Amino acid sequence: MKIAQLAAGLTAAALVLTGCGGGDDEGDGETTVRLSIEQDVDTLLPMDSNVNDNISVLDVVYDGLVRYDPKTTKPYNYVAEDVSTTDNTVWTIKIKDGFEFQNGEPVDAAAFARAWNYAAYGPNAMGNNYFFERFTGYDEMQGEYEEDDEGNVTVTTEPTAKELTGVKVVDPQTLEITLNGPFAGFSTMLGYTGFFPVAQECIDDVDACAVKPIGNGPFKVEEWEQGQRLTAAKWSDYKGEETPDFDRIEWTEYSGDSDWADFEAGDVDATGDVPPAEWERATSDPDLSSRMIEGPGAALSYLGFPMYLGKPFDDVEFRKAISLAIDRKTIVDKVVPGQYVAADSWVIPDGVPGGVAGTCEFCTFDPAAAKAALAKAGGWPKGKKLTIHLGEDETQEAIFKAVGDSIQLNLGIPYVLDPTPDFFDRRSARDFDGIMRSNWFPDYPLNENYLAPVYASGDAKKGNENFGYYNAEFEKLIKEGDAAPDLEAAVSKYQEAEKVIATDLAGVPVMFAQNVMFYSDRLDDVVLDPFSGEIKLRLLKVS
Amino acid sequence: MGRYITRRVLQGVLTLFLVILLLHLLTTLAIQLNGNPAQAFFGDRPPSPSQLAAVEKRYGLDDSCYDQLGSPCLGPFVDRLGAYASGDFGESLRGREVTDIVSAAAPNTLRLFAVVAVTWALIGMTLGSIAARRRGKPSDQGIRGLSVLIDALPIFVLLLIYKYVFSVPLSKWAKETFGSDSLPALLFKPSFSLDHPWATLIVPGILLGLAGSAAFIRLVRAAQLESYNADHVRAARSKGLSERHVAVHHVVRNSSIPVATAVGIIFTEALAGAVITEGMMNIYGMGGVLWKAVQDSDVSVVIGIVTLLAVVTVVVMIVVDVVYAALDPRIRYD
Repeated sequence: MKIAQLAAGLTAAALVLTGCGGGDDEGDGETTVRLSIEQDVDTLLPMDSNVNDNISVLDVVYDGLVRYDPKTTKPYNYVAEDVSTTDNTVWTIKIKDGFEFQNGEPVDAAAFARAWNYAAYGPNAMGNNYFFERFTGYDEMQGEYEEDDEGNVTVTTEPTAKELTGVKVVDPQTLEITLNGPFAGFSTMLGYTGFFPVAQECIDDVDACAVKPIGNGPFKVEEWEQGQRLTAAKWSDYKGEETPDFDRIEWTEYSGDSDWADFEAGDVDATGDVPPAEWERATSDPDLSSRMIEGPGAALSYLGFPMYLGKPFDDVEFRKAISLAIDRKTIVDKVVPGQYVAADSWVIPDGVPGGVAGTCEFCTFDPAAAKAALAKAGGWPKGKKLTIHLGEDETQEAIFKAVGDSIQLNLGIPYVLDPTPDFFDRRSARDFDGIMRSNWFPDYPLNENYLAPVYASGDAKKGNENFGYYNAEFEKLIKEGDAAPDLEAAVSKYQEAEKVIATDLAGVPVMFAQNVMFYSDRLDDVVLDPFSGEIKLRLLKVS
Repeated sequence: MGRYITRRVLQGVLTLFLVILLLHLLTTLAIQLNGNPAQAFFGDRPPSPSQLAAVEKRYGLDDSCYDQLGSPCLGPFVDRLGAYASGDFGESLRGREVTDIVSAAAPNTLRLFAVVAVTWALIGMTLGSIAARRRGKPSDQGIRGLSVLIDALPIFVLLLIYKYVFSVPLSKWAKETFGSDSLPALLFKPSFSLDHPWATLIVPGILLGLAGSAAFIRLVRAAQLESYNADHVRAARSKGLSERHVAVHHVVRNSSIPVATAVGIIFTEALAGAVITEGMMNIYGMGGVLWKAVQDSDVSVVIGIVTLLAVVTVVVMIVVDVVYAALDPRIRYD
């Protein structure tokens, strides 16, 4: 009796408590898209935003000089009227007249210059600082430092400059950029979050701007309850052409755990986060799978070799043996279905200009050829274990255990996994004596970005930092690409450089991330950004 | 009474000081052993030295004592105490005020605890009392068996089953039947909703409360059994008072003291369950924030939050001690 009374009382209390908070998202004919991001998002400052989630939010809050074609990721001018150069070193950028920030300030050459200078100034510790390495005057803005073995840093010389000499405001609508050397792909970088303009008001109070951005894009951030929810609404004074046809976006922040149940219950409109246990059911359900879209993602997982140690790692036949012994497709299908696809190239095929499938001849599974290659390389020392180094991550450990099993089974090489929390430090300190599970996520959509930052060094003696690889032909082709007369010529030079990597098997591609998105029946025209794997919000339709 | 409370408050302050000192020493040692937490700021991409230096400086990690293994780093400790005294609990690695984080996260956790406490009291008192009154009978055996069963089901299992098996169909059904903003639809939402903080917390709170209720049931049963055999209960019965009156006024009240003690202890225990519940139900609360801060080596958040939790715990303990006097007239503090 008493319990029943209490329960009734509680229910009544709950009714009262919830009744007052009852929100009606769509009460006045507004269409709201409900999406999810991870709780890790901690800034919305363009200069500091470099994870998928804040990039995808800022994609509707800010407009860049260029935007990327959703299919080919080729850049086209957006805020820029024209981007031109004669020598690939000095670039002239004309900016369209009439664009404004959401606080009324003009989007002019100075708006870009102040954002770039702020990002490039070392002590500001911006996440996108390194994008400005190619600009003249970058080094003077970093100062000099001493770093001891434990990674502790002391300042020996303060930076001498606060502005990039390579960024000149010629007139309110014209910027002149000077790079350290020719780089044909420069215009492909300009649409990235780190190159967005910022208002003076933002620089005056960076902390406020990081939480409530003053954008120049079609949406304006209404409120960000950090760790919980972020909402943005259409900015009525937007002058650009590309604007979504819905009114509000509500991002719920999730703490790592999946939002899959919320998607199924209809509380979230789209999710790419399917628990592995649900994958089979989700893809075989006719209704759910009709609302699924997938495509190749930009990140490449590959194996690096400590070529600096000499035999057997510097022998191309040994690397071939390892590559041919890995049953990529079966591993992906069994361990991480839907999340990855087996890779047979160094550059994501069709994902960025210059990316073609099948450039890696030895990325097929062929145990017999693998054994033959190992014999050619002189075999593996008896009784020795091959170490596979990788970062600490449960999923990756499961995948690379399967990779190790593949190698052990087909080549008879026993292996041991070495998950380490200091993977990056140890790798750059050349502290590894086995093969290394590495991951590359490109910074801008161009095949060059999969090649030069990973394998080039210009140092014939030491080779590149992580693996000790060097090939003069490769370096030459990259340089020729950088200096090519136009982007297309550059792309084909970089493709030739990829062929050198393929012959040398400088790294062994294992798999590309796969972008997957399930969406609710309210959504239409769902297109994924091949680069970030997120929905292209400006193309999305909501009923 | 006044003197007693003063003494307890002073003891509490000393406890807090020791907690902060211990935390400081542990985190200092962790930094000295594991290396620079400023690295965590940059995630996967190795930062340039200039960036690292800037971040170290910003978060007061540039003191050289952090490089000497075994150094207690008392300088930064004194600085921190001074800052705390002036109400400054520092910033997270991402420049968010710790007080800001806490004021967003604490209400949700407190709501969760409120539901947990009610569940505990309801289930524990009801089932424990029934079991005590019907000692040895099938209902007593049944309740004792149930408490073992509850113990065998950890909270994450309960939540996992609830979230992935029950909540989706229930919430869909409730939405279609009662409308999407109706109470049943909100109750069964698979995740917490900021717009309906109470409604969406009730089921997770009940589950968390249920998972911890077994100890409560046994405690209440044992305490009441003792009372049933006590002289004053026999005296009350022999006066001819009804069994119901005896149970309510003489047994339940007198057996409440161990239960009040348990509420104090439970409060800290619930936090452990809260980490899991908050994580799984996507509740932005103290448990989840602390969990993440530890993972990210976010020193000022960890110390700030644990200090605040220690404050709350000390206060709850003092309140529990004071409640004793109200429950048991024999207890005097002077």
